[in-house]
Amino acid sequence: MRRGAAPGPARPGLLHRRDSGKQRVMAIAAVCLGAFLVIIGQLWYLQVLEGGHFLDASDKNRIRIRPIAAPRGILFDRHGVPLVDNRPAFTLSLIPREMPREPERREAVLGRVAALLRIPFEELAESIAKVSADSFQPVRVRRGLTLEDTAKIEEWKIELPGVIVEVEPQRTYPSSRFAAHLLGYVREANDEQLKQGRYRRGDMVGQSGLERLLDEFLRGRDGGERIEVDALGRPVRLVQQSEPHPGAEVVTTVDRRIQEAAEAAMQGRAGAVVAMDPRSGDILAIVSTPAFEIDRFTGTIDRAAWLRVVQDPDRPLLNRAIQSQYAPGSIFKIVVTAAGLQEGTLAPMDRIECTGEFRLGAWSFKDWKAGGHGPVDLHRALADSCNIYYYQAGLRIGGAAITKYARAFGLGEATGIDLAGEKAGLIPRAKARRGREAWPAGEVVNMSIGQGQLLVTPLQVARFMAAVANGGVLWKPRLVQRIERPGQGVVWSDPGKVVGHVQLAPIVWAFLRQSLTAVVNDGTGVGARIPGLEIAGKTGTAQMIAHSRADKGQDHAWFAAFAPAHDPEVVVVVLVERGGKGGQVAAPIARKILNAIFFEKVASVVELPG
Amino acid sequence: MIPIIDRRLLQNVDWTLLVAALGVIGLSATTLATLNVGRTGGGIVARQLLWVAVSALALVLVASLDYRRLVRLGPALYVAGLAGLALVFAFGRSVSGARRWIVLGPVSVQPSELFKLCFLLMVIWLLVARWAQPATLGVLLVLAPIIAVPFVLIVKQPDLGTALLLCPLLVALLVGAGVRLRLLAWMSAAGVAALPLAWVALKEYQRERIMVYLDPVRDPLGSAYNVIQAKIAIGSGQLLGKGVAGATQSRLAFLPERHTDFIFAVFAETWGFVGCLVLLACYALMLLRGFDIAATAREPVGRLVALGATCLLASQILINVGMVTGLLPVVGIPLPFMSYGGSSMLVSMMTLGLMLSVRMRQFQ
Repeated sequence: MRRGAAPGPARPGLLHRRDSGKQRVMAIAAVCLGAFLVIIGQLWYLQVLEGGHFLDASDKNRIRIRPIAAPRGILFDRHGVPLVDNRPAFTLSLIPREMPREPERREAVLGRVAALLRIPFEELAESIAKVSADSFQPVRVRRGLTLEDTAKIEEWKIELPGVIVEVEPQRTYPSSRFAAHLLGYVREANDEQLKQGRYRRGDMVGQSGLERLLDEFLRGRDGGERIEVDALGRPVRLVQQSEPHPGAEVVTTVDRRIQEAAEAAMQGRAGAVVAMDPRSGDILAIVSTPAFEIDRFTGTIDRAAWLRVVQDPDRPLLNRAIQSQYAPGSIFKIVVTAAGLQEGTLAPMDRIECTGEFRLGAWSFKDWKAGGHGPVDLHRALADSCNIYYYQAGLRIGGAAITKYARAFGLGEATGIDLAGEKAGLIPRAKARRGREAWPAGEVVNMSIGQGQLLVTPLQVARFMAAVANGGVLWKPRLVQRIERPGQGVVWSDPGKVVGHVQLAPIVWAFLRQSLTAVVNDGTGVGARIPGLEIAGKTGTAQMIAHSRADKGQDHAWFAAFAPAHDPEVVVVVLVERGGKGGQVAAPIARKILNAIFFEKVASVVELPG
Repeated sequence: MIPIIDRRLLQNVDWTLLVAALGVIGLSATTLATLNVGRTGGGIVARQLLWVAVSALALVLVASLDYRRLVRLGPALYVAGLAGLALVFAFGRSVSGARRWIVLGPVSVQPSELFKLCFLLMVIWLLVARWAQPATLGVLLVLAPIIAVPFVLIVKQPDLGTALLLCPLLVALLVGAGVRLRLLAWMSAAGVAALPLAWVALKEYQRERIMVYLDPVRDPLGSAYNVIQAKIAIGSGQLLGKGVAGATQSRLAFLPERHTDFIFAVFAETWGFVGCLVLLACYALMLLRGFDIAATAREPVGRLVALGATCLLASQILINVGMVTGLLPVVGIPLPFMSYGGSSMLVSMMTLGLMLSVRMRQFQ
């Protein structure tokens, strides 16, 4: 210890035999060499045996796939005017793989986004919790970001790893509620649709109307980019790109001008309008009011707004043109007239004296006009919609004949229009009494003026009116003319389909046409009169059965018309819920629409005093 | 006392050893040049080569000194090294949660790196002391605090890798010093028995690393990230490597610490299995020369110095490559002569210097 470790010759005790020290060094060297061999073995395993596997893994590591959304196909009207279009919209997306891995830091990022955009934090957390934290697929969290919101996100970009703003084509509409029920809204695939396996999370899917019906055609195929990125997810190079294939273009039968005119005419009213071409069964316009705000439903709608629409007592999501059933009211008198004339139980010259009251046993049925119409024949009875006349006529014709013709005119069955959820309506059947079919007189009397159990939809009335106009041809209503894929031409088309014929003698058709023209010229439908246009029509006032004590304001107002009366080009049916009398409420609306159809395309000045 | 290199000494320079080291340095420089690290980009190569130059001077200095004189200075160097470690706690700079560096003007130094050499000389000084013959249990108990104090200081930085490195070094020196193998076996058994205690003392992230080593898919994006990415990099290199342009794992920065502790993975991805064999052959050559110097040393001090120096390099190489290839848990140890870093290069060169010093005086 005194001199420390003085160098010198080998001392006894320490490595007494020189060879022993050498051996020990050799032993250590051997251990080292052994370790080297183990490492070489591991390298052989990793690089040679498993090399291909790891090569795949390294490719997956650096390649990231960013989908490019295909623009949805455009829907056009019959003249090639778009009903709906696409515009670029900003979408907030989260890429789980690029977000911080630690839960606290991840939550901090989500919290910042929530604060910047005023989105509930839970909404963000929920949407990202559904996918693997390892996923490169962007999770679309909120669509339709404003420019201001987009700027905020870009500004904080450094602090928001994994948060990106994508540009996606989004639906844009001529106006907030334009053709809402017809077109339908487009939203992200819901959980149920995802289960079917046809959609990926975040796909935009048509949820109602034509968007849903034609989703497969409209959707197109998303393109994608394979981007090489570094470990921080920064794009380094574009490896491969596949262009998106836009969706197919759909040419509908709708006339945007008529649709807009009908919507404008129904402003502030609840009800439905159907405009149809009696020569082809083409639907020119189909309106249901109140409508929902289709532009708000497409994209991100917050929970409260959604519930407000779904729970709205006015039921804006309901397509009243096909999904609501009403008593036809006096419009049904056309069917009764046709049945009586064709069956010979009624003749044009049959006259009665209308006193305003009709007694059947202990029951008393009233006319809508206090004091009655006085002496009326069939023509006047139809033109003035005399109930007393039809009570008696109906009893003579009988329930069996009336319902037979009603069915022939397509009432009481779905029209087969390409929109989901159509209701069938109801034509009552005879009661079985002692083994024989029988019609209770009271029921027949009620049915004769379109009340009782009868239920029809506005679309059924339009088709029925079209058959009256075109001499008995019953069309399947057509909504879509053809579908064209870019570069492929027409991939689908509908030539139109006749589903039935109503067989009436020509003189009966002529009589109906003449009498219905009188309705508008000097009958109950004068509110629809347009000088210079011959219009045939029928008013109707459907009493609400459920409210027997209902005042007049609770009645539904009907007006069904076609024009020009001698060479019909268009059928217009108007229904106003709780509107009151058909002649006073529905006829003026039909007048506005007919005026737009026949005169406003030429010049908008033909607004003459009626 | 005057470090004059006389002609006879120069005749005995081990050129093979130096050429092997230069080969590794060359491979290191080409690898570093392909990596765009930091704002300086390829600037790290220039920096590293500057360190190589400085370290080469240190090598010449160490080699020109008589290793016996250095061993005699062991206690003084040891105390100075301990002071350096203590200074880290007082003035150290933190990098990603670890205080390992002291900033000296434009450079930052890692005292724990330099301490390895001090420790080596100190242990040799003790083992060859007259009173310590023969090396019995009593002598080893005297050694205990000399090891324990720096070990704790380094672990607390925390720099578990360097601390653990002291263990194989110590074992190699004890074996080389002729300690009875039965005694060594008992000590090893005691060490294993103490492992559960060590587990308690480890930091959370260190435990996680060991768990990840045992089960790599435990947390693929968290602690296991380095291991998995390194394995992907190495494996995807396959037989002949992807070349500089194709080494996406490294170039696109999927590999963390790719210019320092994980540089072997970069090299393996770029040059493949064949490249790895070349690199490992350089290392093996270096170590074999070291063992040869130890085996042919004229007297015990020289043998222990050469053996210690060789084992210091060997354990760093094996632990680093073992950890990068997934054979060992991840501990932060640089790969000698390959990894970017001044302190590591300086110490590695000085270790070579010690080996040369023994060789040159072998035939005096």
